[in-house]
Amino acid sequence: MPVLQVEKLNVAYGNFQAVRNVSFEVQPGEIFGLLGPNGAGKTSTLSAVEGLIKPISGTIKVAGYSVREESMYARASMGVQLQATSFQAELTVSEIIRLYAGVYGLNLSKDRLEAILSDIKLQDAAGKRYGQLSGGQQQRVSLVIATIHEPKLVLLDEPTTGLDPQSRRQLWERMEAMREKGHGILLTTHSMEEAESVCDRIAIIDHGQVVTIDTPQALIDSNRDRPEVVRASRKGRITLEDVFIGLTGNTVRS
Amino acid sequence: MPTTLPSLSTVFSSLLRADLTTQWRNRKSSILVVLVPVLILISWKGLIDKIGAAFVISNCITVGLIAIGLMGYSNSIARDRDKGIFQRLRVAPAPSWSIMASRLTVQLLMIVIMSTVLFIVGYKYDHVTFSISGYIFGFAMAVVGGAVYLSLGQVIVGLIKNPETVNATTRLVYFAFIVIGMFAELGVLGKEIGDLVKWSPYGTVKRIVSAGLEPATWNNQTTEALLLTLGYTAVFTTLGIKKFRWDSK
Repeated sequence: MPVLQVEKLNVAYGNFQAVRNVSFEVQPGEIFGLLGPNGAGKTSTLSAVEGLIKPISGTIKVAGYSVREESMYARASMGVQLQATSFQAELTVSEIIRLYAGVYGLNLSKDRLEAILSDIKLQDAAGKRYGQLSGGQQQRVSLVIATIHEPKLVLLDEPTTGLDPQSRRQLWERMEAMREKGHGILLTTHSMEEAESVCDRIAIIDHGQVVTIDTPQALIDSNRDRPEVVRASRKGRITLEDVFIGLTGNTVRS
Repeated sequence: MPTTLPSLSTVFSSLLRADLTTQWRNRKSSILVVLVPVLILISWKGLIDKIGAAFVISNCITVGLIAIGLMGYSNSIARDRDKGIFQRLRVAPAPSWSIMASRLTVQLLMIVIMSTVLFIVGYKYDHVTFSISGYIFGFAMAVVGGAVYLSLGQVIVGLIKNPETVNATTRLVYFAFIVIGMFAELGVLGKEIGDLVKWSPYGTVKRIVSAGLEPATWNNQTTEALLLTLGYTAVFTTLGIKKFRWDSK
């Protein structure tokens, strides 16, 4: 059973339709990338999956639970890393982990807490307030919160934005480790390098619609002869970024 | 393996522990909330014999309630909403009402602390005492009165998204309430303004707290003030919930 099923999803804000008939699935042990220019509908799709906005039509199921009818079960089955830092700056790392362990109904022993902190290499920062952590440390806390309850589905919204190359590589390794453990991951990113490196499949979304879904290599292979993709090529060989530009155009979006 | 939901008590106690910790870490602003009514109480020492201890203490409690509801509650909600803290909690299996209930419980505790501090300062500094039933009813009325200002704070964060604007607005409303309220109650601003303030949230809350402290003085007008206080709370709560958005974007 897919860990995420999105079928004919439509999201609108007043008269503006942000998402049009979007359908895709994420399987257990799969990293699925959602790529698109700014304003393409990625965040709206993700927000609908998270249950933060109400779609006008379509169905979303997380681990078989409907996001609308069984919202609490759906939320308990997913882990989310939002784009913005979203924890109380006054709380320490340990307190944040304890808070979310409680919210997900976990009984967190001292040993387990230490193991978690050790896993994200923040043993020495356990008593440090979240607001005093570096960007990379905050991302690590955020990721560990997203996976603390071993969710079937993990949603990562541009997780590597603002990270240095070392932290980014470390995060990729964490994502791959999660995949090995059978988590399904839905990742949004603007980094084509990231998508090409870690994603098993990719959906390119533009103007609220899915343009194409396939593996990174298959996307490159099937689009390498398209004139707009060839025109977008800058390195003498076709990359995922060329395919992306070729399929979504090179106009800068707001 | 089917997904299991956390128990509501576990969720709520985790939220409450975090909110209490956050409040404790921001204790400087909490101290200021209590300090203003304490200073008024101390500076009004000479008025106690003239206008009565219940009048003075109830005025101070009302000022504290306004500060807790408008400055404490609404500003913390606006700030955390802007940071996305609520959205992060809402994607977890925490019912939305439990997130707010936890915040309100912390403010309830603040009301009890503020009232207790005023009772202690009133006793130590001005030798003001009430009967046991007076203290109990006084606390109860402070909580009922506090609900008006918490719900008014909810209206402000419902209508205004920007935390800086919320901060400026609540300061303005706080200032207007205490200056107009206190002077009108003392009869300085004339009869019309005095009557207006008497039936405003400031006047009704002050009267029910005052009568709560001296239950023997409770009369029909106090009952009307209590009903009006509950009415204000109902209207502000409805408006505040209806207009509130979890996201500031």
